[in-house]
Amino acid sequence: MIVPRVVSWLDERLGTNAGARYLLKKVYPDHWSFYLGEFALYFFITLVGTGIWLTFAFDAAGTNAYGSVLELANRAHPIGYVMRQVHHWAAVCFVAAILVHMGRIFFTGAFRKPRELNWMIGFTMLALASFTGFTGYSLPNDNLSGTGLRIAYSVALSIPVIGRWAASVFNGGDTFPGPLLTTHLYTLHVYYLPIAIATLLAVHLFLVIYQKHTQFVRDPRVVVGRRFWPDYALRTIAVLGSTAAVLALLATFVEINPIEAYGPYHPWIATNGAVPDWYTAFLEGALRLGPATEIKIFGHPIPPVFWPGLVLPLLVFLFLLAWPFIEQRITRDLAWHDVLDTPTQVPLRVGVGTALIFDGLLLTLAAADDQTSAALHLRLETLVWVYRVLLLVGPFIAGALAARIAAELRARIRESAVYPSDATTIVRNEQGGFEEEEPQPA
Amino acid sequence: MKVAFFLALTIAGALGATVAAALGVEPAIFSGALVVAFVGLAGAAASAAIALHAPDDLTEPRVQRGPSAPSPLPDEAVSRGTFGKLWFAAIGAFAVLGLVPVISLARKPGRRSVTGWRAGVRLVDAENKPIARDRLVNGGIETVFPQDGIELPDAPAVLIRVPPYLLPAAGNAPAAAAAPDGYLAFSKICTHAGCPVALYRHESHELYCPCHQSRFDVLNGAKNLSGPAPRPLPRLAIGVDAEGYLIASGDFDAPVGPDDWDRRL
Repeated sequence: MIVPRVVSWLDERLGTNAGARYLLKKVYPDHWSFYLGEFALYFFITLVGTGIWLTFAFDAAGTNAYGSVLELANRAHPIGYVMRQVHHWAAVCFVAAILVHMGRIFFTGAFRKPRELNWMIGFTMLALASFTGFTGYSLPNDNLSGTGLRIAYSVALSIPVIGRWAASVFNGGDTFPGPLLTTHLYTLHVYYLPIAIATLLAVHLFLVIYQKHTQFVRDPRVVVGRRFWPDYALRTIAVLGSTAAVLALLATFVEINPIEAYGPYHPWIATNGAVPDWYTAFLEGALRLGPATEIKIFGHPIPPVFWPGLVLPLLVFLFLLAWPFIEQRITRDLAWHDVLDTPTQVPLRVGVGTALIFDGLLLTLAAADDQTSAALHLRLETLVWVYRVLLLVGPFIAGALAARIAAELRARIRESAVYPSDATTIVRNEQGGFEEEEPQPA
Repeated sequence: MKVAFFLALTIAGALGATVAAALGVEPAIFSGALVVAFVGLAGAAASAAIALHAPDDLTEPRVQRGPSAPSPLPDEAVSRGTFGKLWFAAIGAFAVLGLVPVISLARKPGRRSVTGWRAGVRLVDAENKPIARDRLVNGGIETVFPQDGIELPDAPAVLIRVPPYLLPAAGNAPAAAAAPDGYLAFSKICTHAGCPVALYRHESHELYCPCHQSRFDVLNGAKNLSGPAPRPLPRLAIGVDAEGYLIASGDFDAPVGPDDWDRRL
């Protein structure tokens, strides 16, 4: 057989068998929530695979970007149609999978010492994945994404002092759309961003192996689980197969981003009710709720898009990036943690997480405020004010409520562990059977 | 047995997809075969894992990786004190130097507004046809461009015709003077984020941006009424030439599109 010969050929020269044996026999703990990150991994692999194919079909020079994608949107081109649809579906699912995976890490406290670094790497990958998604969604130069790019260009312009530089590096010209815009987006989308993600992914996975996986309460001195080969490998192949099957199903039966319906980009055409891919919707919502005031510093204007379009996402990003250290500051807990928390056991984290999710959902919802106000027969201005108040007050109420519920749950479990209220005593009788002891009168 | 069944599905699905691709059939058939292949793979792996009955009880000791023991080797003289600081300063100097190529990528001012509007330029539609003075009825709206300048980035304007008697009543004197037959024109590029202000509500005489819902009062110089737009839409004064076509009487009365740091108002 060829495989054993190749293996021993390599081992003779590089001594690879020891390492391979270590990796194949490595023990992984098993829990359904540990597979969430793997979904993200397989979405990424699908994206790279379909993406490489798409580079051969796309007109990257930008002169006929729309036309070259339109050909793929045609169902008479079955491979191109499925490739493009799978690619777009995988992109929106990729960001979703990372977010859900990070939710698991956050609520179980898996980011605590010694794994703060991997949390930051993971969070950077989430930001990069969203940015990659946005650049890819903008590549076909259709009217929907072109309008989105125009907004992004305005946000880049709004940066104090360096706005024009930043916008022009991105736009590749002095007027929008710049002559190099598509080329810049293409380079970002195809080279820099995916290579950055792949590099961080390699470090991320290496650290998971090197530091070993966290685990729900069992013996803290050991990892308890199954071997990589064949037990865990079979499970992860099942995850891969089901991910790919779901993507193929979605790609064929639920059309995503029908650029043939949007038409090519023209700066003077826009349609009502247009919404971007879901992971950028919170920014769109923030732009809708943002104030109209343009403040001036020494006569220089700071356009209103600066605050919701740039400052807000930057603050959220920095806050989440720094969360392991913020939590350490609050709890003064610098101990080594290989054992996960049950999510409901830590009221602080439940409260902060709920507050963030509340605002994220609210901003996403606000991205459709025109449709919502029409459906509810509300004046749009009224709805905007309701959202603004909810955005500022809501997270405190929702967070406090969630933290309170978590605290009560924790107290109940602690109480029942010390002296369960419905406790009875079981005694063994002389015949070897068990019987319940009569409760003693107090 | 189960594993064999699922692997057979995988083989059938993968070969089916290959044949479908070769024949160039509907995407649904190609993709359906792919689904069968992947379901087969997932099913085979899952049933093999179940068949293994591997107990979840193997253990592997955890190792605390840090901190490292101090190195027995002595520190070199070059990494101490002033030398160390100088090394960092040298690296920092290279970082500053690195800014030069980054900044050189963008040419200041890095933004140009090309509207194409001058006094006497005819208004045209998206087919570059001039607009006669009887083009719109009251309440009508059309996107207009300077003649031969449809692709100019800051050119698009909205032409609206309102009943002329509404204009003096609004108390906006220059509006009436520069609105022949009740024609008004405003930049179509929103002052908020540059979206096209594409929608017009003729009962309330409001322009409405579909991106972020800014409203502008057409009878009052396209003043921003609500929404995130910080200032009115720039106005294009128009007139009528000898042949009865609409012309611009100059450029927009304010800069087009969103502001930035270097655009002083």
